[in-house]
Amino acid sequence: MKKFVAILLAAMMLLSVSAMAENIVKIGVYEPASGDSGAGGKQETLGVQYANLETPTVVIGGEEYKVELVYADNGSSTDKAPSAAQELVSAGVSVVLGSYGSGVSIAGSEYFKNANIPAIGLTCTNPQVTAGNSHYFRVCFLDPFQGTVLANYAFSTLGARTAYCLAELGNDYDVGLVTYFKQAFEDLGGTVISDTFPTNNSDFTSYLTNAAMYGADVFFCPVSIAYSTQILQQAASQGVEFPILGGDTLDSNVVAAAAVGTNIDLTIDTFYQEGANAAFDEGFKAWLNSDATALANNGGNDTISAVSVMGYDGYYVALEALKAAGTTDSAAVMAVLPSIEYTGVTGLIKFDENGDAVRTSAFVKKVNNETGAWEFVTEQTVE
Amino acid sequence: MWNTVFPYLLSGISVGGQYALIAIGYTMVYGILRLINFAHGDVFMVAGIIMVYMSASGMPLWVTIPLVLILTALIGFVIERVAYKPLRSAPRMSVMISAIGVSYTLQNLVLYVTGGLNKTYPTIPLISQTVTVLGAKTKAVTLVTPVLTLVLVLLLVTLINKTKIGMAMRAVSKDFETSQLMGIKINSVISATFVIGSFLAGVGSVLYFTNYPTVIQTSGAMPGLKAFVAAVFGGIGSIPGAVIGAFIIGIMENIIKGLDVILFKSGVISAPLGLSTFSDAFTFALLIVILIVKPTGLFGEKATDKV
Amino acid sequence: MSEMNQQELLLKVNDIHVYYGAIHAIKGVSFEVRKNEIVALIGANGAGKSTTLNTVAGLLKPRSGTITFKGENVTAVPASKMVFRGLALCPEGRRIFQQMTVRENLEMGAYSRPNAEIEQAMENVFGRFPRLKEREKQVAGTLSGGEQQMLAMGRALMARPELLMLDEPSMGLAPILVEQIFDIIRELHESGATILLVEQNAQMALSVADRAYVLETGSIGMSGPAKQLLNDDAVRRAYLGH
Repeated sequence: MKKFVAILLAAMMLLSVSAMAENIVKIGVYEPASGDSGAGGKQETLGVQYANLETPTVVIGGEEYKVELVYADNGSSTDKAPSAAQELVSAGVSVVLGSYGSGVSIAGSEYFKNANIPAIGLTCTNPQVTAGNSHYFRVCFLDPFQGTVLANYAFSTLGARTAYCLAELGNDYDVGLVTYFKQAFEDLGGTVISDTFPTNNSDFTSYLTNAAMYGADVFFCPVSIAYSTQILQQAASQGVEFPILGGDTLDSNVVAAAAVGTNIDLTIDTFYQEGANAAFDEGFKAWLNSDATALANNGGNDTISAVSVMGYDGYYVALEALKAAGTTDSAAVMAVLPSIEYTGVTGLIKFDENGDAVRTSAFVKKVNNETGAWEFVTEQTVE
Repeated sequence: MWNTVFPYLLSGISVGGQYALIAIGYTMVYGILRLINFAHGDVFMVAGIIMVYMSASGMPLWVTIPLVLILTALIGFVIERVAYKPLRSAPRMSVMISAIGVSYTLQNLVLYVTGGLNKTYPTIPLISQTVTVLGAKTKAVTLVTPVLTLVLVLLLVTLINKTKIGMAMRAVSKDFETSQLMGIKINSVISATFVIGSFLAGVGSVLYFTNYPTVIQTSGAMPGLKAFVAAVFGGIGSIPGAVIGAFIIGIMENIIKGLDVILFKSGVISAPLGLSTFSDAFTFALLIVILIVKPTGLFGEKATDKV
Repeated sequence: MSEMNQQELLLKVNDIHVYYGAIHAIKGVSFEVRKNEIVALIGANGAGKSTTLNTVAGLLKPRSGTITFKGENVTAVPASKMVFRGLALCPEGRRIFQQMTVRENLEMGAYSRPNAEIEQAMENVFGRFPRLKEREKQVAGTLSGGEQQMLAMGRALMARPELLMLDEPSMGLAPILVEQIFDIIRELHESGATILLVEQNAQMALSVADRAYVLETGSIGMSGPAKQLLNDDAVRRAYLGH
């Protein structure tokens, strides 16, 4: 028996040596590929995949490594998240990218922490993701910032005085963003009424009626793509008169498509506006159009979603960290991350003491009801 | 007051009719097999997915809608033959576990096919139009649903009371052995029950997804659960019970979603209380209350177990 | 009796063995029924009388042995097809459809018949059971025990069977009603019906039957003309309480 074990161990060592010879570094892609946020997760993953295609290798400690992406589907649900996180830990990734959705990021966080693996959030905007965690970083802005941007827009630009907010019950992202919006909007002197709906709900007609009954001037629903498309479709058939406002999650061509041919006035804030970096836009679109699976995952057309851009920048931040660490050891990568500075498509990314990217502006966009394209409204800055 | 309540009532009646069409499938299968067919909500969802893919293939609606209904009925038939018939003499628990298995199988098949992405249900002219009723704007399907539901229920009740197959269904639901002695082929009657139940779920899916036009693999879960509660509420095994239960649940759940507004507008409360959060909790609380106060439901028979 | 035996053989059961799971319930039972006969199967509780009838009716499958009906091997024919071949069982405990009306119950009995024949058959049954006619629209569950038995028999007759099998028709009935039921059995016999009768009330059964078989824990003990068994000492001691 002992002999057998010894042989087995030797074989495993040989295997691992041969793996080293190939020089592979693994980056975990912790994203939902199914569930309510599946569409968003896939778009975010597209950005990572495109960046990986563009830069498939990285030089670490003088040696060239091939970057292998390891995918784990957290199913958009906090109860599936732990096993997805465990998968990545078991796969031995050096750094994790993701997730789309703050709730699942928080749910997977401790598994990365225990394994000493740093995680870089791409678009999870809830403060809880990084708060008190030295292993979680993020490249996007935060909800208090976003809530303020949207409240300012609603109050000043739209002239709204009563806002109706709708969030999914128990969804950290939705509920958090509504709270920050409410604070900012009330500070400005407005009134906020908020409702929550249960998971898997698909009948939003009564919530829309509620908003109308309260005489809301704006309907704020920072919910996942799945719910927001349904809200838009039902709002259109109910002929609602108030504008609809959403957070970064609504920045998806899938959502925009739901508003085509309707009178819905839909405005959102987001991380990136198509056209800001022509070279990136062109390359990304060319790739989408050449790869049928990628195009399907992007919702069937080549509109660039901001989350894809964040995925793209996040991948390069991870590569920078690997280069700086000079090793594929995850703890070493974690140690160098706070000092990483990188200028990506979305601008300069550097981390503050919480591990959050320092961001001072957000793009506000509005859907075009005829073309389904997002049109730039303003770049809102908050100090 | 009426103007405040009416839009919620309208939503409730509409969704209630859709629950009713699903609930009939639960109650009929239970009536005959004493089986809670957990896969029924997923059959409803699959009907929606089939519709999405068929209309994407460019077939006209007058072809796709009948075809979807036929395919849905066929799916019900096949599920019964493959997953339940071989277990006819097995303990009821085994059949129930098989039903749960079918439910997951359907969900995962759809997950595989759709890649987990939401599918947008095709727009069906006429019933997708926006209409205005007493000042409330809604889709025409909201008005069509209760009418169509009642027509279908009347047809079904006539079928059950006046036709030979209906008589056979009633007989089989009471006594397998004696029904066989009368010359009734039990398996054909059970198949017919699944075909009818699935067909109605197919009709329900056309109406439901026209109102709420997004289909994903879990789309059947909530409506299925609500319809099941409706069937239990009305007295499982009873068709009128399931229909009435479904309307009550549909209406109550929408009223609760708007309760804050109604109370606010009528001056009972001065600020919203956030009661809408409890709309689903209400449905399940109602189930618990019913099970405690009247375990057989509104129209349930006292002795449901066979001799 | 000897002329009876000349009659055409209707049912022949040859050495059937029936199991309930591991329990060997019927251990090689053989008997036959000829046209226009009343044959009684008597025996104690649990002797296997009902099991035998249910097996003949096709509700149970024998593990071995054969059942021949009208010259055809029907051993593997299911119950739902046996009725189409002319065999009806009026089951133990009546098993009428409690929630249906009297009329609906009778219609159920004629499930195997073409629709055109139902009215005629219904008239025949009402002629034999005037009480059922009076209660035509009543829900069956509200009938008295005797009426329910009549309904069960009427329902079996609706199929116009060539062989009518009655399982414990007197069970749970008051003596006066038992008399009535047996009068009806006699009338049926006189009008030419063939009946296979299972009874615990051996006295009554033997008094109407032409021939009888005594079933003892899954196999046939004695058999012979009913009158002969009625006077047999062993039978009298065991089944007639003398």
